[in-house]
Amino acid sequence: MEELGRIHQLIVPMFGYEMTFNLTSLVMTWIVILLLLAFGYLAARYRQLIPGPVQVVGEMFVFQFYSITEDALGEKMAKTYAPLITALFIFLLTCNWIGVIPLMEEPTKDLNLPLGLGVLGFFIAHYAGIKAKGLKEYSKAYVEPFVFMAPLNIIGELAKVVSISFRLFGNIMGGSIIILVVTYLVFNMILPPFLYAFFGLFIGAIQAFVFTMLTLVYIAVQVN
Amino acid sequence: MTFETYEWIRAAAFTGAGLSVGLSAIGAAIGEGYTAGKANQAVSYRPNLSGEILRTMLVGQAVAETAGIFGLVIAMMLLFSPAEGHSILTAWAYLGAGLAMGLSAIGSGVGSGLPAGSACEGIGRQPGMANKLNTLMLIGSGVSQSPAIFGFLIALLLLFKPLPDTMALIPAFSLLASGLCMGFGAIGPGIGDGIVAGNAVTGAARNPETLSILTRTMLVGQAVTESTAIYALVVALLLSLNT
Repeated sequence: MEELGRIHQLIVPMFGYEMTFNLTSLVMTWIVILLLLAFGYLAARYRQLIPGPVQVVGEMFVFQFYSITEDALGEKMAKTYAPLITALFIFLLTCNWIGVIPLMEEPTKDLNLPLGLGVLGFFIAHYAGIKAKGLKEYSKAYVEPFVFMAPLNIIGELAKVVSISFRLFGNIMGGSIIILVVTYLVFNMILPPFLYAFFGLFIGAIQAFVFTMLTLVYIAVQVN
Repeated sequence: MTFETYEWIRAAAFTGAGLSVGLSAIGAAIGEGYTAGKANQAVSYRPNLSGEILRTMLVGQAVAETAGIFGLVIAMMLLFSPAEGHSILTAWAYLGAGLAMGLSAIGSGVGSGLPAGSACEGIGRQPGMANKLNTLMLIGSGVSQSPAIFGFLIALLLLFKPLPDTMALIPAFSLLASGLCMGFGAIGPGIGDGIVAGNAVTGAARNPETLSILTRTMLVGQAVTESTAIYALVVALLLSLNT
């Protein structure tokens, strides 16, 4: 049970401050990135009219998320934002699924990754809002219904970042803690594979989709 | 009979863990049961769609369970938290963490079950829209969980907050009150968000052309419904900074 909450850290002193790197999450994120690069290479480098198996999977992702983005943002903006949404989903899906492989850990189990992606989504949504509506129309949304509601509206916007990133983090970390505790209690017999299938594959896929969709609708709310 | 400090902290951690997982189970179970009930109803109307409805039911239940999983995570952290060498204030913080997580999960558990139930019903009505209804349901349930996530945040904050070594009545009670404030403040918004999302899904199933405007209206409505949870979050943060 000592594994619970242990993190490999690299602490680098710098100008009197300390920079902390969570090594496991860093290495795992790079493994995910390399896997995705390989997938992209195999799916798109040898394109054929009659697609191979990898190309079919790639086309499926791109087609599905293009149509979802088009529904939310309209055809013109879908060209700009659909690649982002597709990439976000594939990245999160691989991150959540990689924990099923022995000796691998989900990088999303570290709060820093979901929080980083949440902040990214926040800035992209507000940039899109300012670009689509202009600064004046954009800032009008903050003084509704009265001017003195502005602080609470701003806190509400920041709370979105908290809720989107903690949702992913809590689910993935909760899943891995439950797997660890139950595996320990049943002496590694029978149950763990099913737990991995449920928490790793099922919940992981759902949460990756929820995170992606919420990023998309936050952009849509700012734009419209 | 007197007890050592670490015994009090242990006792508070165990009480907090019990409150956290016990209270959060209430909401998640009601939400999941509601989803399954609606799914059964839908299958009775449309037996040939049972596979589709069953899939939506399982996805919806998995999302509704999130609040329960958060409760379990906080309970595990409380059970395995160190007790030796901490001040007695830690006991109050642990109690507050359990209350914050447990109470806040009640509303969100019930709330995120409502859109899932409506989605099962809606697929019975409009089988062609299954994917879009599922997406809307996931967005709605996800947003309904925000109050529970605020509770999770406050619970984590209370668990890992460095506390002063001296016992005083006011800091102790502000830690407990922080948990109570976040917990009670999140019950209503969780259920309210669920009502918004549930009706949006039902509406989209009745009139598919309105899907995109319904999504927008739903999110705006949920943002306003959630504002009371955000007031609770602000007050809870202020209270926990008080020590």
